[in-house]
Amino acid sequence: MQKSTIQFLLINCFLAIVLVSCGSVTKNYTPKKLDKKTVEVPYFSEPKTDYVYKTNITVYGHEMSGIFIAKKINDTTHRVVFTTEFGNKLFDFEISDTTFKVNSIVSELDKKILINTLKEDFRLLLKKEYVIQEQFENESDNIYKSADGNRDNYLFVSKKEQKLEKLVRSSKTKEKITITFTLENDIFAKKVVILHQNIKLRIELNYFKSE
Amino acid sequence: MKTKIALLILFISGNLFAQEQKMTDAEIASFKQDVNVVSKKIKTLSTDFVQYKHMDFLSKDIETSGKMIFKEPNLLQWQYKKPYNYSIVFKNGKILINDEGKKSAVDIGNSKIFGRINKLIVGSVSGNMFDDKEFAISYFKSKGQNIAKFVPKDATLKKYIKQIELTFDKEEATVVQVKLLESSEDYTRIVLKNKVINAKIDDSVFTN
Repeated sequence: MQKSTIQFLLINCFLAIVLVSCGSVTKNYTPKKLDKKTVEVPYFSEPKTDYVYKTNITVYGHEMSGIFIAKKINDTTHRVVFTTEFGNKLFDFEISDTTFKVNSIVSELDKKILINTLKEDFRLLLKKEYVIQEQFENESDNIYKSADGNRDNYLFVSKKEQKLEKLVRSSKTKEKITITFTLENDIFAKKVVILHQNIKLRIELNYFKSE
Repeated sequence: MKTKIALLILFISGNLFAQEQKMTDAEIASFKQDVNVVSKKIKTLSTDFVQYKHMDFLSKDIETSGKMIFKEPNLLQWQYKKPYNYSIVFKNGKILINDEGKKSAVDIGNSKIFGRINKLIVGSVSGNMFDDKEFAISYFKSKGQNIAKFVPKDATLKKYIKQIELTFDKEEATVVQVKLLESSEDYTRIVLKNKVINAKIDDSVFTN
């Protein structure tokens, strides 16, 4: 209990410093005229594909590994399952832009804060289309801003390849979650890294072909 | 063409003879005795395995494969080689993991659930699980095979494992398939092949 209080205070101090020192997330980017209204993310959108990734999770110095499986089960919803290498299910979710259902979760992971974090991560990862309000650019990328409640999502599309390679979710002042995609081809990511900036959580997905 | 016909025959015969019948009490007694005689002789065991993770919503099973090595009394290594390298060793109350070269250790001294899993795996592979009071066991036979089905009695374990099915080769009285059914209709099926019993295995194999 005491430990978590100290942690809470530390996080608060840290936040206060960040809030004072940071300006807008976009301060290093140049505003640009909108060239499209939506950005499509095709990497988890094919209903026929089983998206199966070997997964390593690092959370506050602890390592955990397993198999991440995502599959589009209807127009709006993905099934997301995480198992151990032996095949035991650790959690099983159904998730869409507006709905979320826990089919099962082992008691060790059944914590509200963890479930909410994963829900936010997976929703961001699996969302197929982002509606764009503003556009920026830097040297290498066109950056599309998509508002989402009290958060903003920034989609980085490389100028050279015209591919979405990074997604940043941020508050008005600070980046919260960064997802980077290493692409196999136009519609498939062979590696995905979900990195949290405000908590020490990193999720790395590496695709593997089942023989 | 020949292979196709062979596959077809295999498929049809597999379906025809997959019919399971309940064993009689006498058959159960003799089956248990056969398995116990064989498993008592096992000092070491190594086998290749193919693991099929079946989930109803997937287009196809997730297939991984590798090698399992066991040495009396309780050294155990599962080594996945395809499509990734992942090895897990159960040794002296510890779990040692080597994940593509990244090493970690978990103390299972206090973890009942891991202790149980360890016992389950060793029991499954050697086939010596019939005295386990934690399961309700039923026995079936089909052509060339005997099947023992274990249903956990404990509520906590039951939440994760609905049933374990061990399939034995009738002649050799050794386990050829382990099937773990989860509470939903999803399961993990592990097929064991190229089994070698009592080859010399050094303790140093069980480092990770």
